[in-house]
Amino acid sequence: MNRHRILGLTALAAVLVGFYFGGQAPLDQLQGEYTRIMYVHVPSAWLAYLSFLVTFGASILWLARRKPVYDRIAESSVSVGVFFTALALMTGMIWGYPVWGTFWDWGDARMMTTALMFFVYLGYLALRRSIPDPAMRATRSAVLGIVAFFLVPLSYVSVIIVRTLHQGITVVRPDSPIDGEILLALLSNVGAFTVVYLAFMSVKTAIARGEEELEEQSAAADATPAGAAITAPNLEKVRDV
Amino acid sequence: MTRYRWFVLPAIGAIVVIIGWMVFLSLGENLVYYLTPNEAVEQRAQFPDGERFRLGGQVEAGTLVATADGVEFTVSDGAHEVHVVHEGAPPELFREGVGAIVEGAWDGDVFRSDQLVVKHDEQYQAPEDEGHPYEVPTDA
Repeated sequence: MNRHRILGLTALAAVLVGFYFGGQAPLDQLQGEYTRIMYVHVPSAWLAYLSFLVTFGASILWLARRKPVYDRIAESSVSVGVFFTALALMTGMIWGYPVWGTFWDWGDARMMTTALMFFVYLGYLALRRSIPDPAMRATRSAVLGIVAFFLVPLSYVSVIIVRTLHQGITVVRPDSPIDGEILLALLSNVGAFTVVYLAFMSVKTAIARGEEELEEQSAAADATPAGAAITAPNLEKVRDV
Repeated sequence: MTRYRWFVLPAIGAIVVIIGWMVFLSLGENLVYYLTPNEAVEQRAQFPDGERFRLGGQVEAGTLVATADGVEFTVSDGAHEVHVVHEGAPPELFREGVGAIVEGAWDGDVFRSDQLVVKHDEQYQAPEDEGHPYEVPTDA
């Protein structure tokens, strides 16, 4: 078994364990069944933050060391992070509609900073597609990968520094007001999603490496004279048609 | 130009978010998401009848009454209470003891609202756990 398959199967097993705990945990007294949306929503948001943190680190390493592997990690992590940001936004809307009574609020700082984070990192992927030269692409996207990261802590603390509709921080505080079994289910899903992140990264960085090799080959092919590949047009056949 | 067409979606999305946020903040004239009942009473002079703002507080036990076109209840932050007359169907999970944010304006001593959302707090408790009343945080 290769690395991708081992990580993929481990991720699947971890997610099944997470779903088991999520199904076993008691429901919040107020939210009822809607509590369970949290077991996808919170791990998704965690992965979004983790992904962009990895991109931030890999971008700094690219600028410092100029090794292609750092650029591949930075790019792959944004791809995964954008996906999980979208998942966090969507599950948030699905939860918000019945629990808050609205699926979107234009004044909520957590929703706004997260949506902004989504579009800025989507812009990161657009930037990569717009620059053909690999070294220039890596450098410019590394700068964006570092600058854009301020949105991550901003999104995280947005619920403490201003009043929002979104609830404040539940888990990372000394007097965590969360039921023990609900917390266990939540943390097991956060762990499971983290393994999913590693599995996705393993495959995505391998794809990025393949794309890089393909790019180098086609660049090399463009550079060599065509030689025997070019022949005179066959005018005899053209006249027959 | 085709290299730049991928920027269209992120650019439009980011602009929509920023404009939507700025429009919301400029409507309220104050940079807080909602006022607590205490603040709303203290700043009563700044908000004449008909001047819209958001008010957030805890729905007091024993005050929730269904009316012909909505609900009436009292929101509190411990310091002050404001009577709210809401027009429209409240959300599914709206009940006494929850945090609520209403949007509307003063009409004399009552607050008339036409938008109501439930503010769930950061507590997640199984039904058998008592002693965790839901509260709207009044700090920050």
